[in-house]
Amino acid sequence: MGYTDPSSSRDLLGNRTLFFIFICAFAVVTLLQQILYGRNYLKRYFEFYEGPLEYNSTKCLELRQDIIEVKVLSMVKQTELFDRWKSLQMCKWEMNVTEANLFKSTLSRCCNAPAFLFTTQKNTPLGTKLKYEVDTSGIFHINQEIFKMFPKDMPYHRSQFKKCAVVGNGGILKNSRCGREIDSADFVFRCNLPPISEKYFTDVGVKTDVVTVNPSIITERFHKLEKWRKPFYDVLQVYENASVLLPAFYNTRNTDVSIRVKYVLDDFESQQAVYYFHPQYLINVSHYWLGQGVRAKRISTGLILVTAALELCEEVHLFGFWAFPMNPSGIFITHHYYDNVKPRPGFHAMPSEIFNFLHMHSKGILRVHTGTCSCC
Amino acid sequence: MAGLAWKWPRTRLPVGASALGVFVLCWLYVFPVYRLPDEKEIVQGVLLQQGKAWRRNHTAVALFRKLLEECCDPGQLFAMTKLNSPMGKNLWFDGEFLYSVTIDNATYSLFPQATPFQLPLKKCSVVGNGGILKKSGCGKQIDQADFVMRCNLPPLSSEYSKDVGSKTQLVTANPSIIQKRFQNLLWSRKAFVDSVKVYNHSYIYMPAFSMKTGTGPSLRVYYTLEDFGAKQAVLFANPNFLRDIGKFWKSKGIHAKRLSTGLFLVSAALGLCEEVTIYGFWPFSVDLHGKFISHHYYDNVLPDSGFHAMPEEFLQLWFLHKSGVLRMQLEPCEDPFTQSSA
Repeated sequence: MGYTDPSSSRDLLGNRTLFFIFICAFAVVTLLQQILYGRNYLKRYFEFYEGPLEYNSTKCLELRQDIIEVKVLSMVKQTELFDRWKSLQMCKWEMNVTEANLFKSTLSRCCNAPAFLFTTQKNTPLGTKLKYEVDTSGIFHINQEIFKMFPKDMPYHRSQFKKCAVVGNGGILKNSRCGREIDSADFVFRCNLPPISEKYFTDVGVKTDVVTVNPSIITERFHKLEKWRKPFYDVLQVYENASVLLPAFYNTRNTDVSIRVKYVLDDFESQQAVYYFHPQYLINVSHYWLGQGVRAKRISTGLILVTAALELCEEVHLFGFWAFPMNPSGIFITHHYYDNVKPRPGFHAMPSEIFNFLHMHSKGILRVHTGTCSCC
Repeated sequence: MAGLAWKWPRTRLPVGASALGVFVLCWLYVFPVYRLPDEKEIVQGVLLQQGKAWRRNHTAVALFRKLLEECCDPGQLFAMTKLNSPMGKNLWFDGEFLYSVTIDNATYSLFPQATPFQLPLKKCSVVGNGGILKKSGCGKQIDQADFVMRCNLPPLSSEYSKDVGSKTQLVTANPSIIQKRFQNLLWSRKAFVDSVKVYNHSYIYMPAFSMKTGTGPSLRVYYTLEDFGAKQAVLFANPNFLRDIGKFWKSKGIHAKRLSTGLFLVSAALGLCEEVTIYGFWPFSVDLHGKFISHHYYDNVLPDSGFHAMPEEFLQLWFLHKSGVLRMQLEPCEDPFTQSSA
């Protein structure tokens, strides 16, 4: 026992001591950070309880500016953006009519949804050689049979609806209790055949006026409608009188499947209308958003619907548009409100789209809902 | 000279032989060894028999049924069932050269447990679509049978019901019809469902596993009828049964690429039923009185030549009629004049 290392007392700046100092320094820094942020959180917590701030208060202007000044998504860390977005929730949202009108007039110049959103007998006369959106060499010849499927004219006109809700399928909708607020809108868009069963309706509502269907869903879940068709029809029945919207002329693979949907609904004598996106509209919209910095192979259906809604409605509310793995408070959420199936990577540029929506929210063009609803 | 003789040493004999060969071929062409009696001769033969009363020969019926049981076992193999086609079984198509499918879970679930008839069936009518049925007034007699079989989704509208009846228990449908008339059921399906409504509670018998191209449309018929909750049910023909029946008739001397649906049905009926009467099997362009008739009772679209050997099949059936195995109705059942006055 009497043995001690003779060199131990001399090792003043040896490895062990340095290591210890490093650990201490790291601990101190972390502690300081925690204290600083903690105070910040505390402050914000109290502010929130003072009630939502007026739209035009200086604080809100500042907060909105905080988001608008982030020009590119990579300029700030994601957590920083979340923080700014979270603090903005304190402010009431109001529509900025001048900004909104400016934006809408831009859209009407580039895309003109009230005339070109769907293929109609008016904008696609018999004998038209319709160009596909992606298969640029592909051309679809509009014959009598297809022509008869198109509506006479666009069923909607500019700013027809007072308040529209576009419902994305983000996991942020889970436990949001936004169902009633969504249902209170005059017109509700939904994407990609989402489930609206009893399990979900308190969060997502049931009212549906337009529902899009991705042909890939039909191919995978319903065998291209070449086998049984009743299951697909039953799924569509859930949306009652909603019109079904399909990108039939996006690429050549989609066409047959999309046209079959019309036959299915006719065969079962359903009242639901079937519409097809005009490929030129899709091209124009994606071109526009490319200019706004959404670089993706393809823009998402949600973005197309929001763009269309901005022209068709006076006030646009977005629900379930949040494409990050965690909600603004940093809690992890599922990818969709109904499942957690991740999309193919590198196909859509979701974060960049959401970032654009946050910008537009701050400018007062539309409203993005990311929290829980306490409406009605 | 010698050189020439050396050059053509065996010239003379082959010339003679080939001349002989040509001569024999010509002879065979003019007077063939195997020769089918032509239409007139057959009609004459039938007319000769016409006066005699027909009686069912029960021993002959039993004998023929035994023959069919031995070769093809219609009671078990008539349709695809869960019993005769267990999952994982390899199924060779009878109309293709070396092509088979393995029965997987999805296909297996489409089959009934066993042949869904109460065997043996008592009185059966097998209705061909020959133009001879027109103005025959046989509808009532056809409907009197317990089990009525028809070929290739024939029209049964009211204008025909007096001649062909309205009852149906089994109707065959050729995938090619589905393809031509209903665009393979890939687009609108309502027209098809509406068109089979006339067959009420009947089985639609489809050769799904005979040709490669027939499988898709046949399965789609099943899906369609299930989707619409239709009264009709689909039975898939068993390719092994069809092949055995084909072999059976080939051994009796029918030279054709493929038997007609009618003969398949008659053979099945002979195996399944106790008394078989067949109507509208008359593949000739004149009736017994020498009057021209249409090819089908509903239209006059002639088939592709060289696919079926209709006259040969007719002769076989006529032979069965003569020996009392089945009854072939060729005369009108009611006098058309009394019919029109009534």
